[in-house]
Amino acid sequence: DSHIQYERVGADVTMKCGSMDWDAAVTWTANGTDIDESHLNGSYLILKNVDLSQSGQYSCYEGSSWHLKYQTYLRVGTPPKEPVLMCRSNNYPKGFYCSWHLPTPTYIPNSFNISVIHGTKDMVCEKDAIPKNRCHIRYIQLFSTVKYKVTLTVTNALGKNFTTLTFDEFAIVKPDPPESVVAKPVPNNPRRLEVSWQNPSSWPDPESFPLKFFLRYRPLILDQWQHVELSDGTSHTITDAYAGKEYIIQVAAKDNDIGTWSDWSVAVHATPWTEEPKHLTTEAQITETTSASTSSFMAPPTTKICDKGAVVGSGAVAVCWTAGLVVAAYSVLFI
Amino acid sequence: MAAADSPSTALRRRDLCSRGIRLAGKMRADVADLLDAYVEQQGLDASASVAAVEGVPLAAVERWDEQTGTQRLLENLAAYRAFRALLAQMLEEQREQLGEADAGLGRALAAVLLQVSAFAYHLEELLRLESRGIPGEEGDGPPPPPRLSLFEQKLRGLGVLRELAQWAVRSVRDLRQLAKPSPATGAAPGLAESP
Repeated sequence: DSHIQYERVGADVTMKCGSMDWDAAVTWTANGTDIDESHLNGSYLILKNVDLSQSGQYSCYEGSSWHLKYQTYLRVGTPPKEPVLMCRSNNYPKGFYCSWHLPTPTYIPNSFNISVIHGTKDMVCEKDAIPKNRCHIRYIQLFSTVKYKVTLTVTNALGKNFTTLTFDEFAIVKPDPPESVVAKPVPNNPRRLEVSWQNPSSWPDPESFPLKFFLRYRPLILDQWQHVELSDGTSHTITDAYAGKEYIIQVAAKDNDIGTWSDWSVAVHATPWTEEPKHLTTEAQITETTSASTSSFMAPPTTKICDKGAVVGSGAVAVCWTAGLVVAAYSVLFI
Repeated sequence: MAAADSPSTALRRRDLCSRGIRLAGKMRADVADLLDAYVEQQGLDASASVAAVEGVPLAAVERWDEQTGTQRLLENLAAYRAFRALLAQMLEEQREQLGEADAGLGRALAAVLLQVSAFAYHLEELLRLESRGIPGEEGDGPPPPPRLSLFEQKLRGLGVLRELAQWAVRSVRDLRQLAKPSPATGAAPGLAESP
């Protein structure tokens, strides 16, 4: 017969060869490889101070007939440590979710059980399909002063552990970061950048539960951030940018009345508008001269590879440069 | 089917709701400060659980999003009238027990009491705008509480202020719902309802 056997790391393990007598002649294999007789005590297999690498299939065969007499799958692991539990409402006032993980792996299967109590009422935490270490709860009541108590128990074949969180309805409200952050220069304004963003799509009712925002920005060459808090609207114009310097910009969100700030949004980069050098602003007219002795400057044609314009999304940097940006005067002497 | 609001009524409602939201927001901030001061000066544990106090209106509500505008206004009004009486009792107890020792706390309590009264009046204005009758106040307030020990009084006060803080948040949300125009009639949702 074959079964699974769970043992703790560091334990001493004795395996019997099924119903065989102690003094029977047997051969043990581990994952198909014969085990040296030094590990045997009669027909018993002795594994001392087992480690993770000793997990595997152990089989015992009768000495002469090589009949399989016993088989087991040894899983070496550890009992669970106290799990890490987090609960958050990113879709207030619909509900909240709790997610968890173990601080260190156990190397054997674990099962998790979560209970949520509000006052005296048990609430159902519906498990999410993905990720599997998460469940969500719909609020039945709003504006309650009664705390929620969430207990997560993790169990495996070698032991169990648990953790408990107690919190107020308001305390766990934390929106997702703003989305679609866009930053663009303002034409003819060398110190301005126009920033816009959208409410996180997970926030169900921004009209009734408006968000406020925190914007931070700095030139790439400096470490110090500037901050602006905005109580309404989803756009802002930065008016004190350093001319010509590339900026990094992020936005965070918070319910207007309760909870905590979201994480920062994905960073966007933008550079304020700068005036083009005059002799390169248009496609230069190349004039030919047939003069015998002239020094002539021939401006190369200008080609913009891309427009200085909006930069969207995940930290990408749009660099706009003009082909033929050599501003050197050639003196050509024709004789 | 109820008639659509006149533009002036809709404007007035929006104006009253906006002002009410600001009032409730200010009240909430002051109640939060008062709560901190109360906990400290009364020697209480801020995280202490307090059982529901008799006569204190609970802000907790089920199916909040399904409430009509009238329900919101009436529940808010009943709550703030109750808080007006409860805070007046707390102020009286404060003065009896502590005299001048906690004059600052007494002043903060009085300031919040004033805001609660003003907000109750504001809610009455909104109800008048909707041509809803203002419910009369029951008697002269809540019945006198049973004689409580000093510690029980402090815990009751903690319960009152905590619940008031929740109400201040709820009121902001309620007024925002009220301020939303209804797409069909132009009236606030839930207010343009059949009798």
